[in-house]
Amino acid sequence: MATETARPVPVPGAERTTAAPGPAPSLLRRLLPGPAPGANGAALYRRWWLPWLWTAPAIGCAVVFGVFPFFNTLLLSFTDAKPLGGAAGFVGLDNYTRMLGDSDFWLATRNSVLYALIVVPLMVLLPLMLAVLVEKNLPGIGFFRSAFYTPVLASSVVVGLSWQWLLADDGLVNTWLQKAHLIRSAIPFLSDSWLILLSAMGLTLWKGLGWYMVFYLAALGNVPKELHEAAAMDGAGAVRRFWHITVPGVRQAMMLVGTLTGIGSLRVFTEIYMLGSSTGGPGGADRTLPFYIRDVGLDPLTGNAGYGSAVSVALFALTLGLTLLAQRLTKEEEA
Amino acid sequence: MRAKRLTGSVAGVLVLVLTAAGCGLSGGSGGGGATAGGCKVDQGNVGSGKLTGDVKGRITFQTTNLKKDFGSFFNGVIKDFEKAHPGATVKWIDDPGDNTFTTRTVADAQACTLPDVINLNSETATALTKAGYLLDLGVKDPDVAKPFVPAFWKSSTMTASSGATVHTVLPWYTGGIVLTYNTDLLKKAGVDTSKSPSSVFGLFADYEKVAKAAKGAYYATMANPVWRIPADWDQMNIKTLSDDGKSAVFANDPRTVQWVAWMAKLYKEGAMPKDSLSSSNDPSTLYSQGKVAYGSTNPSFVRFVKQNSPSVYAKTGVGQQPFDSLGHTTGAPQYISVAATSDHAPVALAFAEFLTDAENQTAWCKDPNVVVFPTTTASLDDPFFQNVTGNDPFSDARKLVAEQLKTATAYQTNLSPAVQNAIVAQVQLAMQGKKSAAQAVKDAQAKANELLKQAG
Repeated sequence: MATETARPVPVPGAERTTAAPGPAPSLLRRLLPGPAPGANGAALYRRWWLPWLWTAPAIGCAVVFGVFPFFNTLLLSFTDAKPLGGAAGFVGLDNYTRMLGDSDFWLATRNSVLYALIVVPLMVLLPLMLAVLVEKNLPGIGFFRSAFYTPVLASSVVVGLSWQWLLADDGLVNTWLQKAHLIRSAIPFLSDSWLILLSAMGLTLWKGLGWYMVFYLAALGNVPKELHEAAAMDGAGAVRRFWHITVPGVRQAMMLVGTLTGIGSLRVFTEIYMLGSSTGGPGGADRTLPFYIRDVGLDPLTGNAGYGSAVSVALFALTLGLTLLAQRLTKEEEA
Repeated sequence: MRAKRLTGSVAGVLVLVLTAAGCGLSGGSGGGGATAGGCKVDQGNVGSGKLTGDVKGRITFQTTNLKKDFGSFFNGVIKDFEKAHPGATVKWIDDPGDNTFTTRTVADAQACTLPDVINLNSETATALTKAGYLLDLGVKDPDVAKPFVPAFWKSSTMTASSGATVHTVLPWYTGGIVLTYNTDLLKKAGVDTSKSPSSVFGLFADYEKVAKAAKGAYYATMANPVWRIPADWDQMNIKTLSDDGKSAVFANDPRTVQWVAWMAKLYKEGAMPKDSLSSSNDPSTLYSQGKVAYGSTNPSFVRFVKQNSPSVYAKTGVGQQPFDSLGHTTGAPQYISVAATSDHAPVALAFAEFLTDAENQTAWCKDPNVVVFPTTTASLDDPFFQNVTGNDPFSDARKLVAEQLKTATAYQTNLSPAVQNAIVAQVQLAMQGKKSAAQAVKDAQAKANELLKQAG
């Protein structure tokens, strides 16, 4: 039998000040999380700085790679800074005034907005339909899932080159259409500015379908199967079940896909560069806002980082505005 | 209490961010003493005095996409240099040289971490010179010009921010410029292959003959004007930019409108694939398939055809690129520069001169894996270039380039990519018939000036 030893009489509220027997804990011990000898562990975990300590790496990364560049861009937009450095002078709102009267800026804005307006709805719906198709566990369905996902893994440059080859005047698409007697002369996919823009959108969609299909596959798992069964028994067809059960069931995922695609669409660059070359299509007619930022802000010889930053801020405002608008519309619909 | 702490923390972060952002605005490292491009440097690296000091220390040497094929050659050069200069060591790095090269190199320069000796193209050298990041080699070693072909050296100049003409680059190697064509296709079109056209418009007239004979079955050349601007204009001695480089002046020359009108006419008549207007300007694939009559303008291309398409190689002819008003060929070579921010500038300068001397240039040009030409007089006099035997197209190309390099210049109008794209875009519109040639040239100049103006 263990020998009884004298214990301190517990006093309410005294645990915070009661010194532990033995030597005083080291500074490291005191800083490190976890209960010190004799101390109440829960109290230690309530130290105000502990959450900050755990989140410090993430906050550090966010500040260095997100917050700082953002504020730096904001500040630069009021200057005439050059990409090669040197003294930057404060120019007030000059860059923003110039932007409002710059026809090339508005052309790039039109292209970016158009890109988002066409790509976002398609990117929200098409991968969902694809996910519904491949959701069922049929023999060989894994092959189709993998096949649809493959473009996601391919490099944008490789995909762009493949599409160039497909869409050339003597490429696969025109050759097939001509052989099928659907067209007489080649469709100028790569020399007409509207067709270049539409082809670039097609490329974005094709490359993104597989990625968002995986999102939806995960979301579809949460849609109760009983609802489908009940609706089917009540005579609802596949299309009706899709619109009234599947779509509401994955609404949150659709919202996420819409937001991500919207942001991505407004930032599109590679597709336009691959299909429209360094000018951004003939006459630069297919340039999007990131393309325009590269031209006016980043060129080492003639770039104006201040003006480029002002256009970047406009792009940010546009992205934020469209995202908030989409959220509001969704909320109104839900209400 | 918590709210107070949170407010304090957020305020702290904001202060840090804004302070850092403020630093971002000032650019470069401050402080007194000598500076180059905003970086603190040794006094000897700047100013008008000759560079002196021991050739001792460790430097970094950066090439562009050469390590894979020429690793043993450059390691040998480095070993020889280190042997000749005990105490000096060279670390070799190789940049992939993709289309972000200039941007990345500029970022290195801004961070004061430019490699000590660096292989540059004309565009990047122009940008770095303007910002003061490169050593003025002509000043830092008055004898540096001696090995180079005089015309090449004299034209290997850049413009400093002050407007002064400086030698911040050593001409290293060049690919050469020749006219390459499919003799069968040209004969069908009635083009005389025994005599190359002497002017750019003469060449355009031959393109037109090809278009009329081909009727869409094959083409003369590619449509994207990006590789002709400003190269064609330089050859025609059309002034693209003003002397100080701060404004575009090409519209003042009536031949520019004629040039654009020719391009529009050729595009309309089917001398160029319609879909190449704003896509690839590389004729290699179509030429190798016998679908384009004129190939790329360098001997390396001739070797490419020899290796990849022997049947087309058998029909390939090589001629002189039209000299036009200039009277000789012109085009920027690859350059070697020394960073003004180098901590061991004497070592870097010595290595740059060692690498580009006649012995090393000749040795590299003899490497069977490469088709490049040297820029030193002694190298060009080497029997390897003077006694080229054989009558095949590749030998013809090498003979032509070796001959023309004795009078060639490195002069090239350095347009920034943005300015070049702005001009090219307007020419494309004229080629599509959406604008007249005159209007396109006028608009191109206005767009170019807008960009040049914002650069200050």
